Amino acid sequence: MNRPTTCRYICSLLLISLTCLSLQAQEQKEKEGKAPLFSGIAVSADIVGFVMKAVDAKFANMEVGARVNLYDKIFPVAELGIGDCHREGAETGNTFSTTSPYMRFGMDYNFNKKHNGNRLFGLFRYGFSSFKYDVANKAFTDPIYGTTIPLEMNDEKATGHWLEFGVGVETKLWKFIRLGWSMRYKFRISMKSPDGGDPYFIPGYGKNDTNGWGGTVSLVFDVGQNLMKKKQSRETNK
Amino acid sequence: MRRRLLYIASIVLLLAACESYDCTLYNHVGCYGAFYQDSASVSLDDTLTITAGKSGPVLLNKSVGTSKIDLSLSYWQDEDTLVLTVKGTDYLVQDTIWISKSNQVHYESPDCPATLFHTIQGVRSTHEFIDSINVIRSSVNYEQTNNLQIHLFSAAD
Repeated sequence: MNRPTTCRYICSLLLISLTCLSLQAQEQKEKEGKAPLFSGIAVSADIVGFVMKAVDAKFANMEVGARVNLYDKIFPVAELGIGDCHREGAETGNTFSTTSPYMRFGMDYNFNKKHNGNRLFGLFRYGFSSFKYDVANKAFTDPIYGTTIPLEMNDEKATGHWLEFGVGVETKLWKFIRLGWSMRYKFRISMKSPDGGDPYFIPGYGKNDTNGWGGTVSLVFDVGQNLMKKKQSRETNK
Repeated sequence: MRRRLLYIASIVLLLAACESYDCTLYNHVGCYGAFYQDSASVSLDDTLTITAGKSGPVLLNKSVGTSKIDLSLSYWQDEDTLVLTVKGTDYLVQDTIWISKSNQVHYESPDCPATLFHTIQGVRSTHEFIDSINVIRSSVNYEQTNNLQIHLFSAAD
């Protein structure tokens, strides 16, 4: 290889490198730029609830959700689900059962500045469930008088309201498919129940307590990123 | 970073797997009564036995120096009959108390024993040594405060 050829080769390499760097910087700028107001919608399903139901766990919240993507930053969210609980006390023989719907509304705020389909977000939800539950004990015995009369409380009506705060991450698996998880701190803001006793479980909230922790592992189908790309490509063509 | 996230997720899952039972620690439902004579609290010197009806379970057996009693009411009956027998060295007197009530199921969780609370609707008795009975608190639940004031005949009688 003679000297002019080597020089031309090095110059070509430099030129290609510079072009690549320039293109990469432009792409980075686009990714970090402001996303359009309406950047699409996404639907999701919480895998945990369905798995818990499949393995016959004590309770399961099976839910699907939908969200709107605004600027790839703010995500108004609605989640609808069915809470299912069938529980028998180990030593008491008391059973509690309910299968009732619940809903949550709220918002995610995405902290990730890049529009690459990944999200690191904070979340807020308001949850609500108006539900019926059954309580029973087939061998309910008066310990002093010895009489056994089955205990049956059917279709007891209760209502629960709660708030959730938490964080979550979501990552791009393939094209428009995302996988994410969230961790939520929940606290009950009000509950109405009959005088006989409070429900053991509130659909969507979990075990009935003043506060608690919860989590989701969601499979998300995100149409938003495709819309953004189409818009970006249209702007580039102009 | 990934390893740290894995640790955090494991801890969260472990915490989520824990479950605690928050049953009421004192879960005895009793109808409490106290003896009075001449408007003053008294204790019975002789032995007191209380049975549910003539042949029912013994609720209090040969208690001496009794000033307060704790009566277990039946879960489901609308009226309980309690026979109070006071036995001294050379005498035996009996009075019967009828407590009419309504019954309410009290349920906390599958892991805590269910029970029944009651609301006393009326009390009547025979009058061998009991003069009258006042209901001062009609709710019979986990609270350990008196429901009944049992007035005995005056010592002068």
